[in-house]
Amino acid sequence: MIILLAEDTRDLNRVETAVLEHAGYTVDSVFDGQEAIDAIEKNGYDLVILDVMMPKKTGIEVVEQMRRENITTPVLMLTAKTEVDDRCAGLDAGADDYLAKPFALKELLARVRALTRRKKEYGDEKLSFADLTLDGSTFELVSENTVRLSVKEYELLETLMQNRDRELDTDYLLEKVWGSDPEATPDTVWLYVSYLQGKLRSVASKVTISGERGGSYRLLMAVREQA
Amino acid sequence: MSESESIYGPYRPVLEKVQSYLMDEISMVRQNVSRENGYDPVEHCPTRIKGEDSMREKCRRQNIPETTYSALETIHDAIGIRIVCAFLNDVYLFRDHLVSLPDTEIVQEKDYIRHAKPNGYRSYHLILKIHTPGGLVNDVDQKPHVYAEIQLRTISMDTWAALEHHLKYKKNISGSNQELIVEELKRCADELASTDVSMQTIRDMIHEL
Repeated sequence: MIILLAEDTRDLNRVETAVLEHAGYTVDSVFDGQEAIDAIEKNGYDLVILDVMMPKKTGIEVVEQMRRENITTPVLMLTAKTEVDDRCAGLDAGADDYLAKPFALKELLARVRALTRRKKEYGDEKLSFADLTLDGSTFELVSENTVRLSVKEYELLETLMQNRDRELDTDYLLEKVWGSDPEATPDTVWLYVSYLQGKLRSVASKVTISGERGGSYRLLMAVREQA
Repeated sequence: MSESESIYGPYRPVLEKVQSYLMDEISMVRQNVSRENGYDPVEHCPTRIKGEDSMREKCRRQNIPETTYSALETIHDAIGIRIVCAFLNDVYLFRDHLVSLPDTEIVQEKDYIRHAKPNGYRSYHLILKIHTPGGLVNDVDQKPHVYAEIQLRTISMDTWAALEHHLKYKKNISGSNQELIVEELKRCADELASTDVSMQTIRDMIHEL
């Protein structure tokens, strides 16, 4: 796990680097905002820690530039400012969390752990139901055969597998899987349920999805003739 | 090569007759679907009578004598037809039609679409025995007949198989690279299979409108 630390106060930079390294992280240390940008554009990091008040570029400017460039690495802001507005400015600029100075090193480590943990959103986790496995790291749907699912197919099936004993209605699935997508309608849900029904057949699984267009859906074990 | 030297002996005309009979049946289904649904379900449909050299080579590979009996009775792909369909369900439409033809028996049927091979290969294989005057008579049943091998698949399965075929004949790929390519081809096969299902689903939905 590699962390970029940008902190212009030399003593503090040294102490924070030592503590993080002691905890097992690899740390690149820099001393101003421009050095931070250069390092971020050149290397990949699992986490970026930015002091707000730094020479050349502030921590807020650095995080804004990162997000403009579509760099989604988690960012922890270190701020001497404890005013609510200043903390909000950092978060609104694209930071994921902040820590107000002075802070306990123990809390720094806990926040670093929390932010690096968050990266595994789809996880490498595998979900199973009857003769079916859904692999979160490859989006593979596995039974006798294997097919690859699209992102939305994966999310829909994941939701159905996580709620295997419940009927889920169209509105819930629309909100959960398509969120704020204004183009998605109840027919979108129906189309994706239909995709999954076909794909369950094509991997020769006995699992099927029950439910009518616009209604509620759930996973079912079907007694199906094997071709 | 004169007729008497042919491994097919005097049977080439009957092979050609059955081949064109099957092709006519396929044409008829194509026309019916075109008339009813407004599209041709077949993208292309190559066919061949297996070449003399290739048939003799196959006999040697299987350690059987290079005789007319081997070519027409032991080996079943003297007539070969590949039906490449636009959509998944059309594969099964042709399958159902061919197996219900009169005087036709299924000798072997393998659904590698529902039950894909471990490398990702998907296709529907059918070996038919067609009873016809002028065909070969074997020791067991007295009805003259010839065999035909029919492969049915979608366009994407066909594209995949063509690429996989290239790999098979490319000998000088280093070990680790070979493994990566095999793995990636499997991934492509699974993505294409997924897309075939999606396209069929969309087509069905358009049809319902």
